[in-house]
Amino acid sequence: MVLAPGYEDLQFEPPSAGSYQLPSMGEAADGLILNTLGNAGRLHDYLGDKATVLSFIFTTCNDVNGCPLATYVMSGVQKAVLKDPDLVDQVRIVSFSFDPEKDTPSVLGRYGDQFRAEGFDWEFLTTASEDALRPTLDAYDQWVIRDYDEEGNYLGTMSHILRVYLIDSDRRIRNIYSTSYLHADTVVNDLRTLLMQ
Amino acid sequence: MSRIFIAALGFLMMAVAPVTLADETCMSPYMAKIVGQEDYVYIWTLGMEGVGDGEDKLVTVDVNPDSKTYGEVVHSLSVGGRNEAHHSGLTDDRRYLWASGLDTSKIFIFDIYTDPAQPRLHREIDDFVAKTGGIVGPHTNYALPGRMLITGLSNNRDHGGRTGMAEYTNDGDFITSVWMPTDDNLQGAVKSGNYADGYGYDARALPRRNVLVTSSFTGWNNYMMNLGKMMGDPEAMKRFGNTVVIWDLHARTPKKVLDVPGAPLELRCAWGSRSNYCFTTTALTSKIWLIYEDDAGEWQAKAVADIGDASKIPLPVDISISADDNHLWVNTWNDGLVRLFDISDPHAPEQVFEKRIGEQINMVSQSWDGERVYFTSSLLANWDKTESGGEDDVQYFKLYNWDGATLTPQFSLDFVEMGLGSPHQMRFGAHALYGKAPAKTGHDDMAAR
Repeated sequence: MVLAPGYEDLQFEPPSAGSYQLPSMGEAADGLILNTLGNAGRLHDYLGDKATVLSFIFTTCNDVNGCPLATYVMSGVQKAVLKDPDLVDQVRIVSFSFDPEKDTPSVLGRYGDQFRAEGFDWEFLTTASEDALRPTLDAYDQWVIRDYDEEGNYLGTMSHILRVYLIDSDRRIRNIYSTSYLHADTVVNDLRTLLMQ
Repeated sequence: MSRIFIAALGFLMMAVAPVTLADETCMSPYMAKIVGQEDYVYIWTLGMEGVGDGEDKLVTVDVNPDSKTYGEVVHSLSVGGRNEAHHSGLTDDRRYLWASGLDTSKIFIFDIYTDPAQPRLHREIDDFVAKTGGIVGPHTNYALPGRMLITGLSNNRDHGGRTGMAEYTNDGDFITSVWMPTDDNLQGAVKSGNYADGYGYDARALPRRNVLVTSSFTGWNNYMMNLGKMMGDPEAMKRFGNTVVIWDLHARTPKKVLDVPGAPLELRCAWGSRSNYCFTTTALTSKIWLIYEDDAGEWQAKAVADIGDASKIPLPVDISISADDNHLWVNTWNDGLVRLFDISDPHAPEQVFEKRIGEQINMVSQSWDGERVYFTSSLLANWDKTESGGEDDVQYFKLYNWDGATLTPQFSLDFVEMGLGSPHQMRFGAHALYGKAPAKTGHDDMAAR
């Protein structure tokens, strides 16, 4: 197993924040959500007031270069943002589950408690059902294949392309990260670039 | 036991294959890859007047030897005209195949995941020139995370070689464009030699070094001109690219312009975690060039091998690097040969094999394990050997097996006889990429898991 670059030190000097553009890739879609208290709402309730890093995960994911990577990198982003007074009140992380069956609000709440630093704006969101989830996954091009055995029983695992979205305070997508691209230093650099524009 | 193994960095096909930073040897490192038996080869095919419907088309060939339709065209989808069909590429999730036309600057986006055996046209981009601010001739369709990078060959002001690159979302929405650095506007890049011509052709990324590499060919005026006429025109022959550009991949800003005279075409970067280099070949001077990061961290270019006898103009076209970075297939259009170079020392490639495949050989694609090597013919509509009265203007798709010493033919399809046209770029498809078994064979073991 080759670990993704996000687990290691960045192997290059990144371009300085603000020295490059992050052109809009379109509007960030809305969708139905449940927060960890079980309250219903919309994804847009968590987008629009801050620069937001949105990742799609499920808590039982065991591929080291999948959801655990996303959460590891988000922890690194959290750590860097907490140290930067210019960023700390301007950034939110959202981890959005695509397994409403297992990732109930309470399960996701306990999962989030393991990673969220006190006072940091890291939200964990799920949905009430597959039907509620599907439009959001489609809108974010988050293609998921559920794994079934030969009798058609769901095995509890899923195949998917890791995607993490950088969304500005106007709810526009400004970057998309995948496994070989996702790194905390890169994301923080992009956050600084966004907030300088 | 599963016969298809698919993996990608970040693509969670569990317990099937080691995750690597690679694709089946020549495509984007951001992409899911097929490391076992591919089911289909999708061939972006240039329409020929008087051959079938005469239209450009995406031809799907079944290449799974366990299939009842092995070696047969199982689907053909015409796009309504001729566009100078040339290159194609897959999105990072491999759900869509982008195929572009050098003449009309149209891009056709095919859905290949709903039914991998029967691609369908998902979207057509017909405003590429306007959206990009004048880029003409979309060439390389290259996957970046959640988006496609499209290199151009020309521009709408003089139809010469100055050009740029564009980015689109995977859905086909325009994001941005950037022009290649020129003497007039280096955009902060360092001009390291004699040239900063602003020409474009291919692009490849080395994410671990935050590097994007681009090469340079020629503009619409030349690539749409009759080959004999162009070669007899000294002024036209001056208008070929002489540069490779090193870019900051993340910022999409040019950093260094390298002299690589003689039209450097295809770029192939090494896969090894410490292999910070790429290869290209020059069409006019018939050399292999190494683009590499030196010990001081500076990117350099140097000619490292001759391809045949340059005075006979072999005209190297497509190249294909092996997954272990040890070998490079090199096709030469003019003499119909494929040559294999040992590149285990990238600074001193040595030719170790050659075989005649057929007239006007062009593209080469190999499976991840290197055991299957596919070839197509055709260069450009106005460059192919049409004046031979058909004798040399052959159009084919061929599969050979490679055992490390010999290329053994498996099947050959005559694209003229079949009424299809001139086959160009090949891309692989597999049902297992989408968690599906092929309906027509019903093999339960085809899935990736």
